[in-house]
Amino acid sequence: MVEIRDVSKAFGDVLAVDDASLALPKGEFLTILGPSGCGKTTLLRMIAGFIRPNAGEILINGAAVDNVPPYRRSIGMVFQRLALFPHMTAAQNVAYPLKMRGFDPVTIPDRVSEYLRLVRLDGFEKRRPQELSGGQQQRVAIARALSFSPDLLLLDEPLSALDKKLREEMQLEFRRIQQELGVTTINVTHDQREALVMSDQIVVMSEGRIQQSDSPEAVYRAPSNRFVANFIGLTAMFKGAVEVSGDGGILVRVGDTALKARAQGELGNGTAVDCALRAEQVRILDDPANGDATAFENVVTGEVRQRIFEGDRMVYEISVPALADAVLFAFDHDPLHHAEHRPQSQVKLGWNARDFFAFPSDRT
Amino acid sequence: MSGGRSKAVVLWGLTVFSLVLLSFPTLIIIGASFTSGDIIRFPPEGFSLRWYERLWQLDSFKDALLRTVYVSVVCTLVSIPAGTLAALGILRYRIRFRRSLQVYLLLPFTIPLVVSGLGMLIFFGELRILGSLWPVGVALCVINLPFMIWAVSASANALDSELENAAANCGAPPVVVFFTVTLPAVMPGVITGALLMFILAFNEFLVSLFLVDSRIVTLPVQIYNSIRSVITPDLAAVSVVYILIAVLAVWLLDRLVGLEIFLRSK
Repeated sequence: MVEIRDVSKAFGDVLAVDDASLALPKGEFLTILGPSGCGKTTLLRMIAGFIRPNAGEILINGAAVDNVPPYRRSIGMVFQRLALFPHMTAAQNVAYPLKMRGFDPVTIPDRVSEYLRLVRLDGFEKRRPQELSGGQQQRVAIARALSFSPDLLLLDEPLSALDKKLREEMQLEFRRIQQELGVTTINVTHDQREALVMSDQIVVMSEGRIQQSDSPEAVYRAPSNRFVANFIGLTAMFKGAVEVSGDGGILVRVGDTALKARAQGELGNGTAVDCALRAEQVRILDDPANGDATAFENVVTGEVRQRIFEGDRMVYEISVPALADAVLFAFDHDPLHHAEHRPQSQVKLGWNARDFFAFPSDRT
Repeated sequence: MSGGRSKAVVLWGLTVFSLVLLSFPTLIIIGASFTSGDIIRFPPEGFSLRWYERLWQLDSFKDALLRTVYVSVVCTLVSIPAGTLAALGILRYRIRFRRSLQVYLLLPFTIPLVVSGLGMLIFFGELRILGSLWPVGVALCVINLPFMIWAVSASANALDSELENAAANCGAPPVVVFFTVTLPAVMPGVITGALLMFILAFNEFLVSLFLVDSRIVTLPVQIYNSIRSVITPDLAAVSVVYILIAVLAVWLLDRLVGLEIFLRSK
């Protein structure tokens, strides 16, 4: 449905998108995830046709769209600042693309009410954007982007301005509408939760490059490099060196300790590695529910530096002297009933090799 | 608290003094126009509308007024597309020499009007259009265009450029985007600028003096010609007509776009 082949775009000396390729089958929901300035919005705007790539090709429905202006592409877009027309009512906003795209004027009112109903805004037809709440404006923008049944829907971080509760509500709403209509969708965000919740496929971008392209589970479970491991989830990162490299597993020396790890990439003996360990894979062995030390391949003792109470969980930051003072994160998911570990107290931590990634170090 | 109080007294005093000073000439003229005597003086002798009546009967003033309206309309009609497009062009597109162009478009305003008047006299003379009325309107548009550009720029600055992308994304080709999205969004600025242009052209004297002859004299020039002979109260009456038109314009502005927008744009 959408295919991007080796697309690059530079602004002056800055390479915003560097040799990006991806493919998206019809009806799927793809999220481009990355920190601000990683080139994800540039990539999206090239698909919309507002920016022309310097190199590479974008294909929609199998046809290259290089010379097709934005207004001839069958693409609906929800903008970051929504960009609703302030001098038109909600209904006029939704009707605008229908008029522009030559729909039979007789059918337009029915279509407008159909799509306002889809986004649950029936009754708000006559309101102008300024007279609607943030969430309602979102819904008008969605209805406007979808009313002409585009081949492709683009979402440019439209949820980033909303407060957390409304944002999470709208994430599910987007997903519901997308699945109801089966419209192929590309979403852009810096919010990992949003990407994990909404997508069939996640493309992680950093510094203009695509780092990994996979299903949400795969991106989370098997990050392909240091950046992806660090960007998604609450991850402790520290440096080490491969001591023994064998089939199935490797031994990594960190400070004074040898740890069993899972190699991500070719790692020979002595290779410098970046180790990544997600907080939810670390068990605090002092809590009785977490089993004993024999159940874990790696066990260390550390000192609690800080504890952050988040309501549904407690996040511990634990410094481990035996690992060259590396700082690990660990969760306690029942903080109301477990004894808390105060700062400076000693705790024993355990985790398994399959949850402990070792990536070849960046040269830097 | 007495410090705050004396401060208030001083501030109020200053305000009242300034207001009186500013409105004094206007009040005198208004008063003088209702005199029943034969010369302008204040306080007026008695009360009558005879000078207004006389004004209405004086064909030279009536014709001059109509010519001035004509000139102002020409000026406004030319300035709306010229000023709107210039403001949007400078603001929205990466034009080559944008900075110089910006300075140039504000330049007519910085050149002394005497110089502009002389230049246009020579230029229009070469074109053999001197003696017609419409070139006066065009000339007034040229010298006052910066006001139009400012007014539209103020609106266009507040406009989200993403709106035009959104319109394109909805399937609107560029020309349609301009008429359905860009223009409505800058409309308050266009209205403000147009009214401003009308009033400025209506009052303009110096450049008009260069470009009109006795057959096509406009009202400000006519008044000037009159005070060189005998100063009669009909001049005061003309002035009051002027003031009324200005008040009408401000009222219109308030009704159409709201005075806050206008005041913020300056």
